[in-house]
Amino acid sequence: MSMSRVTRTPVRTARAPVPAQGRERRAARTRSGQWAAWAFLAPVVVYLLIFYAYPLYRNVELSLRNYTVRSFVQGDAPFAGFANYAKVFADATFAPALWHTIVFTVVSLAFQFTIGLALAVFFSRNFRLSATLRALFLVPWLLPLIVSASTWSWMLNSDSGVVNAALSWAGAGPVNWLTSPDWSLWSVIIANIWIGIPFNLVVLYSGLQAIPSAVYEAAALDGAGAWQRFWRVTFPLLRPVSAITVLLGLVYTLKVFDIIWIMTKGGPSGSSSTFATWSYRLGFGNLVPSFGPGAAVGNLLILMALAFGLVYIRVQRRQAAA
Amino acid sequence: MRRLKTAVGLALTAVMLFPVYWMVNVSFTRDQDMRKSPPYWFPVHGTLEGYRAVLERQLPYLGVSLVVGLGTVALTLLIAAPAAYSLAKLRPRGGGVLSFVLLIAQMIPGIIMAMGFYAIFLTTGVLNTVPGLIVADSTLAVPFAVLILTAFMSGIPEELLQAARVDGAGVMRTFVSIVLPVSRNSIITVSLFAFLWAWSDFVFASTLDQGGAHQPITLGIYHYIGNNNQEWNAIMATAVVASIPATVLLIVAQRYVAAGVTAGAVKD
Amino acid sequence: MRPGSSGRRAAGMGAAVLAAAAGLAACSSPSDGTGAPSAGASQAAAGGGTYTIWDPYPQYDKSSDWVKLLESCGTQAGVKVERTGYDTSDLTNKALLAAQQGNSPDVLIVDNPVVSTLAEAGVLTTTEENKLDVTSIAPNLLAAGQLGGKTYGVPIGANTLALYYNKGVLKKAGVDAAAVKDWASLTAALEKVKAAGKKGITFSAIGTEEGSFQFLPWFWGSGANLTKLDSPEGVSAVALWADWLKKGYAPNSVINNTQTTSWQEFATGDFAFAENGTWQLANAKKTGFDYGIIPIPAKDGGTAPAPTGGEFVSIPVQSDTARYATSQKLVSCLTSTENSLATTTTLSYIAPTEAVQAKQVEQNAELEVWVAAVKAAKGRTSDNLGTKYPKISEPMWGAVQAALSGSTAPQEAMAAAQSAAASATQ
Repeated sequence: MSMSRVTRTPVRTARAPVPAQGRERRAARTRSGQWAAWAFLAPVVVYLLIFYAYPLYRNVELSLRNYTVRSFVQGDAPFAGFANYAKVFADATFAPALWHTIVFTVVSLAFQFTIGLALAVFFSRNFRLSATLRALFLVPWLLPLIVSASTWSWMLNSDSGVVNAALSWAGAGPVNWLTSPDWSLWSVIIANIWIGIPFNLVVLYSGLQAIPSAVYEAAALDGAGAWQRFWRVTFPLLRPVSAITVLLGLVYTLKVFDIIWIMTKGGPSGSSSTFATWSYRLGFGNLVPSFGPGAAVGNLLILMALAFGLVYIRVQRRQAAA
Repeated sequence: MRRLKTAVGLALTAVMLFPVYWMVNVSFTRDQDMRKSPPYWFPVHGTLEGYRAVLERQLPYLGVSLVVGLGTVALTLLIAAPAAYSLAKLRPRGGGVLSFVLLIAQMIPGIIMAMGFYAIFLTTGVLNTVPGLIVADSTLAVPFAVLILTAFMSGIPEELLQAARVDGAGVMRTFVSIVLPVSRNSIITVSLFAFLWAWSDFVFASTLDQGGAHQPITLGIYHYIGNNNQEWNAIMATAVVASIPATVLLIVAQRYVAAGVTAGAVKD
Repeated sequence: MRPGSSGRRAAGMGAAVLAAAAGLAACSSPSDGTGAPSAGASQAAAGGGTYTIWDPYPQYDKSSDWVKLLESCGTQAGVKVERTGYDTSDLTNKALLAAQQGNSPDVLIVDNPVVSTLAEAGVLTTTEENKLDVTSIAPNLLAAGQLGGKTYGVPIGANTLALYYNKGVLKKAGVDAAAVKDWASLTAALEKVKAAGKKGITFSAIGTEEGSFQFLPWFWGSGANLTKLDSPEGVSAVALWADWLKKGYAPNSVINNTQTTSWQEFATGDFAFAENGTWQLANAKKTGFDYGIIPIPAKDGGTAPAPTGGEFVSIPVQSDTARYATSQKLVSCLTSTENSLATTTTLSYIAPTEAVQAKQVEQNAELEVWVAAVKAAKGRTSDNLGTKYPKISEPMWGAVQAALSGSTAPQEAMAAAQSAAASATQ
């Protein structure tokens, strides 16, 4: 009963949008309401302060001081202002890494989302085994990244990899997936798309479940075809969930370093290094860590996410206002 | 038509799981065939050596992983569900800023988080303990959980909450007896991810629990990573063994999601 | 998010921060009281007879000979030993982090090129402070642990690189391994092997320290010096590898090979040669084909100096300096002649002292070639490079990768590496 009521309403809100609700919203901002609201938020705020504020502070502090291994241990690094950032900007790795980061993120996101959504729509019609198969799609997430990424690099090995074996079986020549500067970035993107599909599938699937079948029936009565139904009904109703999925996907993709690190170490000669792998290489991938520049690159990534987050909020607000 | 869908579904799953199959294949492979060119598509000269190594040593780790995974789910929901409810329905001032902070919080590199936790955990005495690891792993899931649950809870119709209010239910009662049951599907989704993240976490486990008496399965892999040598069939076998109980759990949970939805649809 | 409400929102946030701070205080106060006992062995060690040891051998668990040896050394010293094995690539950071937090282990076993970094960080004690005896250790091995005239640890054992070869493949190709004396004869052998339908040589040129480790015998064997990467000699070493790849004597996969992957390729039985280390000896017996070992040839003949691998046992700085005495006993026990034999056999290493080396050869004649190789070997951080080495090594492996993947010519790649190394070490 309650279920059916829940599921029916999104349609109404989508058809007769918000102004009335907006007023309602403001009215609800009473003082006691605020107390209750923040009481519910208190745990997460405390949690954020304890577990995120300190690491974030530390990352910023690392990037603003001139850390050597000695001063890292003794804790007496001199304040360096933005010297680490200047160093990073001037580095020859900067421009290619920025470009790779953008390509990696945009291509990964586009494919992860599209494939994830297509699969979610496919699985949303119940058929035999659909639930089990859907669960199996999550299996890649159960594997520690060190294992799944190693498996990919195994499969993509130039000489003994199964992908090249299949290619030669099909009559195509071998591709140096991981060892050619022209291919390495695409190889890590492919692996990353594979890893990202389950996430998109599951979240979007749950989103689809919140759309009641009655809407589809109504649309079908109006004579809409399957394709039209998807674009006119499913996609708009799925928008809030899609938006957050893409945004989270963006944050996760910007951050990806382990897949790339395990598969190619960002190489050969930097051809697959992104900001995330560069940051890791500077801070942890060498015998002598350069914590300062490493943290500076990491903070640039945070700024990138910040920028995208602001865009998201803007778009969301415009939608709410429309 | 339905049968065709099942067939397509099977085919898609097969493509998706091919790398997993390959991992299984490697786990059975003898050392001398690991880099055979072209590779064997099936473990032709299969060996159980990898599995023997794993079953002898790895089973206790699975239990720890299970505890850590479930603990992470519980802690994540405890923190995230009320917060999401508030952000979605109670309109706190500054809620937008908080969501934004949650989003950005996830951008801090895992290894930096781990280094920060090391200091905090050392002084609070939870370094190398299971509760410490649960807390650390929950940081992977909490921001995600709050944001996703908020997105879903925003879809709960106002009328439903108002009806509860008219009936005299307070904010807390509304949350417990209306919002939570109605959000069951999204809660299961979030739980799944929290569990998966905790289950496959490596960075936190290796920084915060390497010296611990109870270690998760991801650290069990270290048995096969020497300073000059890695035993890949055993590493892959560990991953295979580790993923079996978790897969079963996933399938069960996914059925539960489906059941919930169909039940609702039938009553509709 | 309307602009007008931002002031009030800030106030709301302020209140939340206060509430959170209260929460923080509530959280941290009880734990301060209980912190010490539950912080585990490392903390408890300060009070009682527990000493912590960190090593980079996570593959050995409690039932292994290695851990049993640690425990028996503890018993002899009258203390309990708490040992943790870390992944070797992780251990440097763990050690730095622990030192920063005042939580260093009592005994730390680390890869030798890391010793000078940790020493510079002030993490390790000198042999003057910890009274370790290093007089019997071979000087070329000890050099990796020395910085500014001080010694920061004892090598637990050493390993190095040589060429494994597959007798069957060489026979089929009509190559005599004994005739491989310099680069020209090696390349000629590879050509014959390829003509016979087999694969030439496999090594590891991955973009990490492992890649530099494998490249150094060729680099040093050309007569080049790490202070000038783009010398004609240095360039010739890169050109040698690049040429092998171009001609198909070495597989393209070497660019991404770790030493394990490279070994797996050799283990298929298709390859004639493999550059790999002492530690593969046990695995070589498992391959099921006849193999032999020759030293890596220098450019114009003779044996090329290979880099020394292997770990150092060191005693990190403690606030309680009284602990050094017991730590010293533990280390001396680990490196004593009889235990050294057991340890190096377990780890498949060559012992750092001549006495034990002789015993090793006595037990296993196969080790003779390795003992010779270790004697000819050279520390990566020696030549007074110390902590400069990592800053040279990184551009060097980068140049090797660039040349092998074909994105840059060897000459340009090494020139770029040299300017990067020069600016990093100045």
